[in-house]
Amino acid sequence: MAVVARSRRTKEALLAYGLLLPVVAVGAVFAYYPLVRIVQYALFQKYSNSDQQDFVGVRGIWEVLSSHAFLDGVWITVKFMLYTVPAGLVLGVLLATVANRRLRGIKIFQTVFSSTIASSVAVSSVVFLTLVNKQAGFFRNVGWLDLDTPAGAMRGVALSSIWQNIGLTFIIVLAGLQAIPDEINEAATLDGYRPIRRFFKVSMPLISPTLLFLAVILVVSALQAYAQIEILTRGGPQQSTETLLFKITQLQGKTDLQTGASMALGLFVLTVLVSAGQYLLLSRRVHYAD
Amino acid sequence: MSGVNFDQVTKRFGESTAVDRLSLEVKDREFMVLLGPSGCGKTTALRMIAGLDTVTSGTLSIGGTVVNDLAASDRDIAMVFQSYALYPHMTVRRNIESPLRANKRVRVDAGEVARRVAEATEILGLGPYLDRKPGALSGGQRQRVALARAIVRRPEVFLMDEPLSNLDAKLRTQTRLELVELWRRLATTFIYVTHDQVEAMTMGSRIAVMSEGRLQQVGEPQAVYERPANLFVAAFIGSPPMNLLAGTLQGANAVHTVAGTVAVAHPIGMAGGAAVTVGIRPEDVRIATIHDVQTAGVTSTVTATVLNVELLGHERHVIAVVGDARWVIRQTDGDPVVDVGQAVTLVVDPSAVHVFDSSTTERLN
Repeated sequence: MAVVARSRRTKEALLAYGLLLPVVAVGAVFAYYPLVRIVQYALFQKYSNSDQQDFVGVRGIWEVLSSHAFLDGVWITVKFMLYTVPAGLVLGVLLATVANRRLRGIKIFQTVFSSTIASSVAVSSVVFLTLVNKQAGFFRNVGWLDLDTPAGAMRGVALSSIWQNIGLTFIIVLAGLQAIPDEINEAATLDGYRPIRRFFKVSMPLISPTLLFLAVILVVSALQAYAQIEILTRGGPQQSTETLLFKITQLQGKTDLQTGASMALGLFVLTVLVSAGQYLLLSRRVHYAD
Repeated sequence: MSGVNFDQVTKRFGESTAVDRLSLEVKDREFMVLLGPSGCGKTTALRMIAGLDTVTSGTLSIGGTVVNDLAASDRDIAMVFQSYALYPHMTVRRNIESPLRANKRVRVDAGEVARRVAEATEILGLGPYLDRKPGALSGGQRQRVALARAIVRRPEVFLMDEPLSNLDAKLRTQTRLELVELWRRLATTFIYVTHDQVEAMTMGSRIAVMSEGRLQQVGEPQAVYERPANLFVAAFIGSPPMNLLAGTLQGANAVHTVAGTVAVAHPIGMAGGAAVTVGIRPEDVRIATIHDVQTAGVTSTVTATVLNVELLGHERHVIAVVGDARWVIRQTDGDPVVDVGQAVTLVVDPSAVHVFDSSTTERLN
């Protein structure tokens, strides 16, 4: 009996590992191996005219992470996050709430609101660039969107990102709202909740797991913003839109590798910390249905 | 005064008519049961009282006031939903308080809220659960929280949409009794929707039977059971259901069928030869014994073949084929025992025979 049980357990374990294999393989190629290489790059300083490399160690990484360049990148990244995440969430929730009703033709609006999910960051950034074009753009006279001024550039990059993400936010919030049973909303109406109070006291707590998920996704996507910056501003003017990831991509020369890799490690740690902090902070206010 | 009055109320959803010219008066402090199969319009009727569905035409009033255009939250009603519709993120206490706190303009002071919650909690025995979330409660407890949430409002009218359908059989029987006790204690109007005729019979002061959007019959449970107004009500009320058989009228006191002649005690005011349907409750028909055959004067008999015998402990149900219909004969211990496949003669009590017009389905006697 014991032998049978053991061989069955072995079989189940083999099956489990077999099923895990694809994820582990993909992770190994695209995540774990690169991470190991980045640590390696960060620990050694290379030189342009020789194959020699010096071990700079943790001290070398720390020097980069305490430099003005890195801290500026962090500040700009955080600013970009603050510009895009709250506004994107509020807008998505607003649109989803408005579109969550049974009206003739509401599907048209739902499609329009979610359409940005179907275009890539690159495409929507090019479209946005056309919109703010100084000669022919629709927003050519909108002063606060002038990409040639530092503040305007940040606003422009943020606005295009919010627009890019709104489709995803809208769809996920709408799905969350539609998962609330009709009877709960009806009970709330009979209890005397007016629409706005009903939203804050009933709907929002019920979709809070969805909102937490979205907040984490949007924060991570803000930390990783790159394409819209490359296309709209190339980090300028005066490096005012050089987010951390954009900075890192500029550091690809042989001699820059140690700096770039150290910054990448910094960004990695920052992402983990922010996501974990956000999760711990917000999950106390999230109600998961039983 | 807080009865509810439907006057020619119709509700249409696009092309389909959910409630068709319903006229029904629910009296103050009455336990009215709206009974019918799914899709008969009973829930729509209830939702119109609540204000969750609008009235297409006709007049609906609560306590003498026309409420056709009154918002749901402004009606003095409380509703218990089939799914209970509790707020999963709030504790039991918050759920129960919710009708008193929801509307900021109609603030009830904290002491009064606490007093009413304590009272409702006491009535329903929810004390130990006040700080739990609904997810940590059983189905029966959730149902009580939904009731408590309705009670704290002290509404003029309680609406209940199949509140027992998510409970298991044993709990359902117990809760049935508790709901009737609650109704007596609160002395308010209850309007209760169900498809379960046992619930309707055991709880209602009156029953309104509906089918396909139309009211079929209103009356006290016993009266509806004893004198169903048409074939639909006859077949719907009673478990097992009434036995039916098509035939033709012979004079004023007999119906000829393929399985024999059924005598009718009360004369029928219709021409002979008319197509009618006879109905006999399972307890009003018995299997003939040798004694019956020897007694002269038993004229109301039909022949049948036994299809099955169901033993229920306290009684037996004999299922028999009569003509092209299946009948159920309710037997107790002393009645003759029959075997499957046996040909039997059934004796029908002439005073218990219901006769319906086969074309209009209306009652004739």
